[in-house]
Amino acid sequence: MPKAVSWRKLRFRFDWTLTVAATLCLSLGLLNLWSAVRERQFNLFAQQLSWLAGGALLFLAVACFDYRIISRIGYVLYGIGIVLLVAVLVHGKVVSGSRRWFDLGAFHLQPSELMKVLTIIALAKYIHDTPSLDGRTLRHILVPLFLAGLPVLLVAGQPDLGTSLIIGLTSATVVVVARLRMKTLAGIIVAGVLAIAPLWEYALHDYQRNRVLAFINPALDPATAWQPRQAMNAVGSGRFIGKGFLQGTQIRLRSLPALWTDFPFAVWAEEWGFIGCVAVLLAYALLILWVLKIGREARDRFGITVCVGVGAMLFWQVAVNIGMVTGLLPVVGVTLPLISYGGSSALTIMLALGLVMNVSVRRFAY
Amino acid sequence: MVALVFVALGARLFYLQVIEGDNFYRMTAENIIRTVALPAQRGQIRDHKGRVLATMVPSYDVEVLPSQVTRESYDRLRALLGPDAERLLSWDAIKDEATSGKDRVLVGIKNVSREVMAQLETSLDKPGIRVVEVQRRHYPYGTLAAHAIGYLNEVSAEEVKARKDEGYVSGDTIGRAGIERQWEPYLRGQKGFEKVVVNRRGLRRTDVRIADLVTDGPIRQPPSPGNNVILTVDIDAQRIVERALRGARSAAAVVIDLDTGRILAIASKPAFDPNMMSTGPSPTMMARVLGDRLRPFRDKALSDTFNPGSTFKVITALAGLEEKVVVPEDKVKCGGFIQVGRRRFRCTKAHKTVNLYDAIVQSCNVFFYDLGSRPGMMNRMAKYAADFGFGAPTGLGLNGDQAGFVPTEEWHRARASVDKKSEGFQVGHALNTAIGEGATRATVLQMALIYATIAADGKLWLPQIVERVESPSGQVIEEFPPRVRREVSVAPEALAFLRRALYGVLYDAKGTAHKARPKHIEIAGKTGTAQVFQGGRRGGDEPPLPYERVDHAWFAGFAPAAKPRIAFAVLVEHGGHGGSVAAPVAVEIVENYFDTVVPPEERNPPRVSHRGERRLSATAEPAPKKAEAPTAQLPPPPSSRGDTPARKEPH
Repeated sequence: MPKAVSWRKLRFRFDWTLTVAATLCLSLGLLNLWSAVRERQFNLFAQQLSWLAGGALLFLAVACFDYRIISRIGYVLYGIGIVLLVAVLVHGKVVSGSRRWFDLGAFHLQPSELMKVLTIIALAKYIHDTPSLDGRTLRHILVPLFLAGLPVLLVAGQPDLGTSLIIGLTSATVVVVARLRMKTLAGIIVAGVLAIAPLWEYALHDYQRNRVLAFINPALDPATAWQPRQAMNAVGSGRFIGKGFLQGTQIRLRSLPALWTDFPFAVWAEEWGFIGCVAVLLAYALLILWVLKIGREARDRFGITVCVGVGAMLFWQVAVNIGMVTGLLPVVGVTLPLISYGGSSALTIMLALGLVMNVSVRRFAY
Repeated sequence: MVALVFVALGARLFYLQVIEGDNFYRMTAENIIRTVALPAQRGQIRDHKGRVLATMVPSYDVEVLPSQVTRESYDRLRALLGPDAERLLSWDAIKDEATSGKDRVLVGIKNVSREVMAQLETSLDKPGIRVVEVQRRHYPYGTLAAHAIGYLNEVSAEEVKARKDEGYVSGDTIGRAGIERQWEPYLRGQKGFEKVVVNRRGLRRTDVRIADLVTDGPIRQPPSPGNNVILTVDIDAQRIVERALRGARSAAAVVIDLDTGRILAIASKPAFDPNMMSTGPSPTMMARVLGDRLRPFRDKALSDTFNPGSTFKVITALAGLEEKVVVPEDKVKCGGFIQVGRRRFRCTKAHKTVNLYDAIVQSCNVFFYDLGSRPGMMNRMAKYAADFGFGAPTGLGLNGDQAGFVPTEEWHRARASVDKKSEGFQVGHALNTAIGEGATRATVLQMALIYATIAADGKLWLPQIVERVESPSGQVIEEFPPRVRREVSVAPEALAFLRRALYGVLYDAKGTAHKARPKHIEIAGKTGTAQVFQGGRRGGDEPPLPYERVDHAWFAGFAPAAKPRIAFAVLVEHGGHGGSVAAPVAVEIVENYFDTVVPPEERNPPRVSHRGERRLSATAEPAPKKAEAPTAQLPPPPSSRGDTPARKEPH
């Protein structure tokens, strides 16, 4: 019988490395947010602080219940997530052209963020229920394809290309790691490449296409290229040791849209330089690798898959966000986990880490 | 996999921050691009002969840094300024700014003397106080033609908002009246700008090339100075006019060149000092000027309308002659008044039997009452008045150039439906209009133009005050050749008759301006005494009326009488009798104008012959047969304007 562990037991098996790595990342995020908002929108800092506090409680709460309960109701949770996504498409609050948020008074809930974790849970549930010893073929991944494809399409329709992309990449990683046959993988890649052209033509919005085009050839559209150029200028001007805490000017003096959600790394890079950036990368590497290590030691497939999923989610978000800030990737709205400002994003990551902690706490059970 | 990607990201960061870092840093670090406005030099205003009436000169302002200035140094500054200290910004205002946190530099006092500037420059201990050189508008002729030239002052916060598109920012000056206002777009020039790189403290950086940072638009655009506006006004004539008005408390006068319709002089009294206005007058000075019941800011030549009084009789006479309501031989017996119903319409005195000529020369109201009372005369007067430019702006456009008004029968009827007290059109209205009273109103410029039209044989000029616009280098940008507004539809004989009668006003022994007639130059004109207070009675043993109830004195006409070259109108507000107050002013203007402004070779104009004068005097006797006699010997219609045909302007 699955059991909830007592606080005493939890404390005994508490995964300090995971907690320290996560705390490190979010502390850097708070420090950075302070620098970015202290002059103009100080209330953002207080808000973020309260969300992180709420996130910490969520983290502990999720860690307490046996994850097998969560596994059991995995599809139900997934179903709730899908309903929320559909509802937000109909009733959501429109902010700058996208229907992404539920207006809950003080808090704007972004169901697509929550869906990242719910998709991972659903995939883990499926993989847990269908063991495979000699690798999975296309036939075995039809259900995961559906489980991942539905939220990807719903979120892309908001439109929120960044979150959609992260859900897709995370799910793909989970499926590949769950013993996908090399042949099948190759086939999917070929099909994906072939699908680029029609996707480009019909699935993308004009502004999304323009962003990609502006990325390939910045001279094409100076207005669209302006934002990543400003970000790159800021990153580059940090040089080796940075301008110092609170000394960054480039970002703060110009109103970079989505500065606190999408571009906090630019602020960080300007003030802390290459050294600071490497420190952040190391902190993330520690967190992600530790999550994967917990997965390796987990006692069942559900635990493994959840850890791989959360690790992949963290990894892709970090890679895409930093890639976009440093001009390696086109600008898509992807947040930097634990550093970006935003309630839904912070709560989602804390929830995910709570699951990982849960897996870690129960690795020796039974 | 994770490690691989992170290493790739790290490599990218290494490239951006370490390898290319210096370039990025130089390009962006601590750089703020600030656009500095480069002020444009405002154009000059010059008179007809090129003399500068308004120009920019260097001047010294004292600036105060609120956070640094001390009470002691500020008090020392106050002591240094002497009587000017009144204009100094209050200490409270400075403290308010210092505590507001904005701490902008304030202008403590504008336009300090060179001595104050020198003392401030040499004194060492003056924290937070500095002297800066700025450009200030200077009007070398002071109050001369102040209303026509106008003045400048700073734009208000509302104007900055409303006129953002035109590029006005706080601290800019803008023309407030006269030419300065009307020709603002020409005079103002175009501000330039320069983009500079400053660091966070606002200091200019020299180690960064601005061209590396600015990718959109030019980096520097030099200002283009404003154009010079050249007036038709001759400042010598202007000075003559304003000196001739020295005895009047409140007055206006206009002199028009008959060859071109251009304004040679235009004065309004009392005037303000545009220099004082442009440098910020002290509060008490401003309160005094604004509280002045003589309204120094009002341009009484253009912005105010008055009852034309008897100067309007020329229109009444023309309407009667042209519509065959009256012939010059018609006679009326003037017993000093005319009774209409219960109301008595007065004349200045009992003129006995008068014909039209006598009625104009002696300004007999009864004759014109009689003429005005004929059926249909009300609208006929209005028709001819409108033809001569009454009731419509002259087209000058300066200082609100008023339209004036001439009532019609319909207007009086329409008023009855709005105004309970009005009884609709009454014959009394026509009587009042016939002598330029009642609802009839005109500006001084309009009166001058009407007499110019009579002198110019029916040619109604479009008055001009700007001759041309020149670029700072002297190139003509726009020129305004003289323009005729229209030829009034009046027979030349009628105008000739009028000119003869207007000559008689001065040279007939019974003429209302006979005493004022000049000796060596001949003038023709008409006196007017516009009633201000209904019950007022002139002269006699009664105590003098309070100022506001004294009649307005008019004199309008042209000179020389035989071959007119200029036309004029003089109004002395609450001056009293036109013949004894306004006529001498006009005579002095004409005499001095032809003595000093006109070139010597043109100073001896033809005269209406001494014989003619005697005969005219003789015909003034109420002798009906002789009334016809002068017609034959009167001067031929003036022909001096033949050499300047009316040229058409492009627009």
